[in-house]
Amino acid sequence: MNEFLQQFVIESRELVDAASDGLLALEQSPQDTPRLDEVFRAFHTLKGSAAIVGFPPMEAVMHAAEEALSAARAGRVSLSSARIGLCLSHLDQVTDWLDAIERSGELPREADSQADRLVANPAERAAAAWVAGIVTRHRAASTRARSAIRFVPGPDSLYQGQDPVARMTSLPGLLALELTAHEPWGALDTLDPFRCNLVLTALSAAPVADLHVHLEGHTGNCAIVPMATPSEESGHALPSPVAAMIEAQRALLAEGSTQAFAGRVGSAGASAANALRFCGRIELADRISRATAQSLVALSVQPLEEALAQLLTDESPTERAAPADSARAPETVARTFRIDAEQVDALVRLAGELTVVNNAIGHVAKLAQAGDPSLAELLKDRHGALEHLVGELRRSVLRMRVRPLRAVLQRFPRLVREMSANLGKSVKLIIEGDETEADKVIVEMLFEPLLHLVRNAIDHGVESARERAAAGKARTARLLIKAQRNVDEVIIEVSDDGAGIDLARVREVALSRSLITEEQLLTLTEAETLDLIFAPGFSTAARVTEISGRGVGMDAVRRAVQRVGGHVAIRSVAGQETAVTLSLPFSVMLTHVMLVEAGGQMFGLPLEAIIETTRVPQAAIRRVGAAPVVVLRNRSLPVIDLAAVLGMEAPVDDDGATLVVAAANGQCGAFRVDRIVERLDLILKPLEGLLAGTPGIMGTTLLGDGRVLLVLDIAEMLQ
Amino acid sequence: MTVRTAAGGGCIELVGACPSEDAEPLLQLLLADRGATVDWRECQSAHTAVVQVLMAVKPELIGPPAEAGLKDWVAPAITGSPE
Repeated sequence: MNEFLQQFVIESRELVDAASDGLLALEQSPQDTPRLDEVFRAFHTLKGSAAIVGFPPMEAVMHAAEEALSAARAGRVSLSSARIGLCLSHLDQVTDWLDAIERSGELPREADSQADRLVANPAERAAAAWVAGIVTRHRAASTRARSAIRFVPGPDSLYQGQDPVARMTSLPGLLALELTAHEPWGALDTLDPFRCNLVLTALSAAPVADLHVHLEGHTGNCAIVPMATPSEESGHALPSPVAAMIEAQRALLAEGSTQAFAGRVGSAGASAANALRFCGRIELADRISRATAQSLVALSVQPLEEALAQLLTDESPTERAAPADSARAPETVARTFRIDAEQVDALVRLAGELTVVNNAIGHVAKLAQAGDPSLAELLKDRHGALEHLVGELRRSVLRMRVRPLRAVLQRFPRLVREMSANLGKSVKLIIEGDETEADKVIVEMLFEPLLHLVRNAIDHGVESARERAAAGKARTARLLIKAQRNVDEVIIEVSDDGAGIDLARVREVALSRSLITEEQLLTLTEAETLDLIFAPGFSTAARVTEISGRGVGMDAVRRAVQRVGGHVAIRSVAGQETAVTLSLPFSVMLTHVMLVEAGGQMFGLPLEAIIETTRVPQAAIRRVGAAPVVVLRNRSLPVIDLAAVLGMEAPVDDDGATLVVAAANGQCGAFRVDRIVERLDLILKPLEGLLAGTPGIMGTTLLGDGRVLLVLDIAEMLQ
Repeated sequence: MTVRTAAGGGCIELVGACPSEDAEPLLQLLLADRGATVDWRECQSAHTAVVQVLMAVKPELIGPPAEAGLKDWVAPAITGSPE
């Protein structure tokens, strides 16, 4: 992609973001004229730059949105929710195109017809408004929809013995159905239940023709609109070796063992994507890569499994497999971001100074060859200079990777709007502190956990407007995402003023899922009971909904956060609020570890989990049943012999035992090691490829002497 | 009878399949007691006319109804329109 186009993509993304934010704000306050002008300008600029780089479909779509806004600006029409939905769907399309341009440097082949679909003639445009409406409110369902139906039964249809509601609820391939009053109901004592006054809007996975057949014989006004045109994108069948390859990956996934989950998903996804790339189906390969990423994040094989299944079964895989849930699609697209020129200057300066030190060390090396006696002093001096510069370099690079949380939080107003509409709940989202900054890695990993928390809050936390009114609360629920910096940590709290968490229900579920025994339950504090929510396999959802029932529990949130060295806490007041707090490190680069030796090999233990180190006489370790236990400070702790656990011989030490006491997730244990070596700050690399997800190992790093150091995951070791 | 008043009043129960004939009695019961709640947990199906009465009066509902179509699509139209 040339520089010009690159700049176009960067700027367009910023404009799309600005326009979406503006539109959402306008929905709250439609009279905000300056805001309307601002949004209008964003669309106008998008249109102009699309014309300059020569993307007519994008130009046309932006022009249509601009027209719609300009009518509202002139006061000719009101800026309805449907109109805003329409403009947002135009922006969604542009975002998809920008992704495509970034990948391939050009618009996808089907861009023209996509634009036509959005920018139809006036009659169709009116149709598009209701289609856009129902699609916005049923995002997830709409990905599978082939037809949209708007049915206004004749007022007399009930007298003629018809039952439009039953007819629509039994629609083939029904994905979503909305019932609204055609006209206001009027006074109840004059209500005629047999005069039909309904508008039924639906999405269906069945083709238009089937729906015509189903609705045949009904009186009234019925519009059925095709949603997608699979024909133009439908691929030719995959070559059979590629299909066989994909089938084999499905079999691998279906094995269903929880062992080496990430490795299994990663390699299945990579193999399938490579096979697709090999036969030139880049688009499909990207889709599989995305699904793989989703699977890894969600800790469920489902997204990848579904995407693979679609490749094999679906005659139009490209259209259907697209995750139209605006929440997910853009996640894995690598984006450029702008860097302050000053920071780049600082780096250049540092590079210069490093060169100087490097030369100086070269000189010292020569002296070493000559056997100069002042060598040690010189080396120490140069090492000090180098250390200083490396530290500064690290800080500079880190600063460069810092991004405001806005990058991830700005997607939530839109998502909350969709989710609350889907669930028929009224929710006001408040975002505080989105200017808070954190390392790019943190900002990027935050989206999935936050999405899960927000979904939970809207689906399970927030009550229906009716229940809220009954409880004497405001009808509109308040959902707050608040971010702040606290020294080395970034704290993000997601709270809602909903029903709170029902502790009795939590206990019941934990018992029924055998996560805990009845005796254990008796001794649990309230906080510990709440913590059960994070246990793997726990999910209080009595029903599985489209929004939150994806088989991913809060344990996935905790794991994702722990993976980058953070932690999660929850508090809840029955009937008042639920708040989940994510505490994340500001940067992920440095991990403090303690080096220990066990079985003659070096291992790292994360320092943050270590409580103390101590040495006890051999006799202090007693056996309780089969397990060795030590009593320290009136507390008995299980002793874990690190060498034995890792499958190595421990050297015999009759004098006593060196113990490292560590705690994670509320569990505490004493690790027996041969000796404690030193403490180090290091940059941890997560395990990748086939080793990804190896239990008990947090990551690796290279030691000064070139050996690979495994840093152990204390939480997993203690389980 | 698929529309009935529970003992003690204040609650109207919809049970089994509710045909169009149920619309009128349901409306009358709701008009007679404006604050009445409707328990439709046992409701298996509801004719359009019955649905219209519920949508117009918007009574407090005790649910969810037994049948998926009622629960997923009809209930939201009564408890609050998504628009």
